[in-house]
Amino acid sequence: MTNQTVIKVGSTATGFWGKLRTVLARRTEGRAVVLFAIIATVVTVSQPLVFTAYQVTLGRIALIGLVALGLTAVILMGELDLSVASTLAVSGVIAVTVANQTNMAIGVLAALAAGVLISLINAFFVAIIGINSFITTLGMLFALRGMAFVISDEAPVKLQNTDLGIAFGQPLLGPLTPRILIFFFIFIAIQIFVSRVKAGRELLAVGGNRQAAYDAGIPVKRRIFTGFIISGVVASIAGIINAVERTSADPTSGSTVLLASFAAAIIGGNYLKGGKGSIVGTLIGAASLGMLQVALTISGVQIPIQEIFIGGILLIAVITDPSSLRAVWGSISTTLQGIRNSLAK
Amino acid sequence: MRKSRLVLAPAVMLAVSALVLSGCAAAEETTPDADSTTDATEEVVEEAETYEVYALLPQGSDQAYGTFYVPAMEEAAAELGINLTITNSQYDGDKQASECEIAVAAKPDGIILWPAVGDAVRPCLEAAKAAGIPVTVTNSDLFDADKALSRGYSGPDTYGQGVSSAEIMCGLVGDADVSIIQLNGAAGNSTAIDRDNGFTDTVAANCANVTILQEESTDWTKATAQQVASEMITAQGLENIGGIYAADDSIAAGAIAALESRGVVAADYFITSIGNTFLGNPLVIAGSLDGTVFQSSSWDGENATRLMYAVLTGEIAEGDREVKFMPSVKVTADNAADADVAPEW
Repeated sequence: MTNQTVIKVGSTATGFWGKLRTVLARRTEGRAVVLFAIIATVVTVSQPLVFTAYQVTLGRIALIGLVALGLTAVILMGELDLSVASTLAVSGVIAVTVANQTNMAIGVLAALAAGVLISLINAFFVAIIGINSFITTLGMLFALRGMAFVISDEAPVKLQNTDLGIAFGQPLLGPLTPRILIFFFIFIAIQIFVSRVKAGRELLAVGGNRQAAYDAGIPVKRRIFTGFIISGVVASIAGIINAVERTSADPTSGSTVLLASFAAAIIGGNYLKGGKGSIVGTLIGAASLGMLQVALTISGVQIPIQEIFIGGILLIAVITDPSSLRAVWGSISTTLQGIRNSLAK
Repeated sequence: MRKSRLVLAPAVMLAVSALVLSGCAAAEETTPDADSTTDATEEVVEEAETYEVYALLPQGSDQAYGTFYVPAMEEAAAELGINLTITNSQYDGDKQASECEIAVAAKPDGIILWPAVGDAVRPCLEAAKAAGIPVTVTNSDLFDADKALSRGYSGPDTYGQGVSSAEIMCGLVGDADVSIIQLNGAAGNSTAIDRDNGFTDTVAANCANVTILQEESTDWTKATAQQVASEMITAQGLENIGGIYAADDSIAAGAIAALESRGVVAADYFITSIGNTFLGNPLVIAGSLDGTVFQSSSWDGENATRLMYAVLTGEIAEGDREVKFMPSVKVTADNAADADVAPEW
């Protein structure tokens, strides 16, 4: 009898629906895809300009999504990196300041080096000293913001080679600007790393159960360094792109990036406690958020109303999580049972 | 292999969507031509009466100034037959750049720009110029190098406001040697920089007997200003300070609160600021604040629309740049209660 049951389950799992169920059970992007489809449908009907001016929408998605992609590497480990927006700002300031004194290539290298250094400091305090990543990166957020002001002398730093900046914002491949191309390149690179490379897959293991990861021989501390370096370097790249494309590095830059990045990752189905999530989910989350923002901007919807929309989407993304739904259903059942018992008495 | 497909699927999906939708864009672009033969006269009349204008602002109903600026702007737009689409970048230069891309893609008749970061608007201006969309600037003017890319400016003379505040200070101090502390607006903000320059240049030229002991940035709020002022008083010693320059009335109110918390009377100090707001005007009447400079948010919003209308109707000739400064009226105890300088925000 037992053997028959095993065979039955096995045969279901190899069938189309069984495979589909298995794939869906493993993936965390389901809700993100549904949200994306709903937003895309509504936007298509109400604001078709979002699609007709698709290069603008892709630019907004890249603006939100780039930092979110790097941030996801840290979130998958169950850690947080609140310093990404400040890393973006200080990297932009370093890139332009150094570029103005030397050349753009050296400016870019200096900014990337700063991104790596910031990541190493973050990871050192989290992995070696054992300080909570929220506190570590919160401290780094303030320190870097101050550093950006000090380096820039409290004013935006103008890129002397303005023509280079203007050219960088122009389409390079068809209608795609370098920002969009870099965004897609980084998405593919991080996705391949997280899904196909052993070290990348270990990020999920570290987030899922850290003790089990230690026991399995995974170099947890090294992986924490890996995750933070990805996050820091990607934030640095975003800062460089912003500064060059705007022909100016603003020390206050990235003020709206942090929350948007977390929102994209959460809408994409990434668990803040780590162990579950994907880069693909973050891409879909960023796409949903980007489309929504562009549509609301075109509609002239004011910021407070936009925030209500985005907050609503975030809330839907969180409460439609299967475990949340189970908890809600459990609470409802318990309440109903209590009411039934009261009535019976 | 399957994993590779999963990795690339979202990217391919977005790329394919982009290409398909670009076809839609091309199709949509041709539609008006096809319909142009019908009711051509009526369309011409309608186009002559109504203009589509994007207003790219860095604030809106989320800040006191914007709360009065936006309704005045909208009221003037309704009167002049302008359909306004207003955005709010919350002083994020990158976000405003993205909003500018959206505006250019929407192909409006004109763009009203209030730069979030003065140094970062060149690409936006270039894109608008390439698309043949006239741009006028409001509230904070462009840097000299960029002015040729806009058709006009309306708003306060932010440098002149700093000058006026310094003139009040110099007039009050007379020949006495006085040391003051200076509280500026947000670091990197162009209005804060202009006011700072206007004040310090005028003090250096008109009353060299006034020494600026220390200057610090704030975030324009009373609470932060009170904290910063308190720290500066501690650092410099209350006995060494004879006056305070604040970049706006909220900052002045914070600085006055910091003084009074030390048990001294603010009226005994030389204090000047800018704004003549609901917060600052009563302080002038009470004698705590010696002088401020009137700034009308409703004048600012209304004239932003009127200037754009003048451009759209050809009142301002092609190639000309109109500059319309808001009157910078000095408000002291002598005229603070007058109806013509009644605070608006």
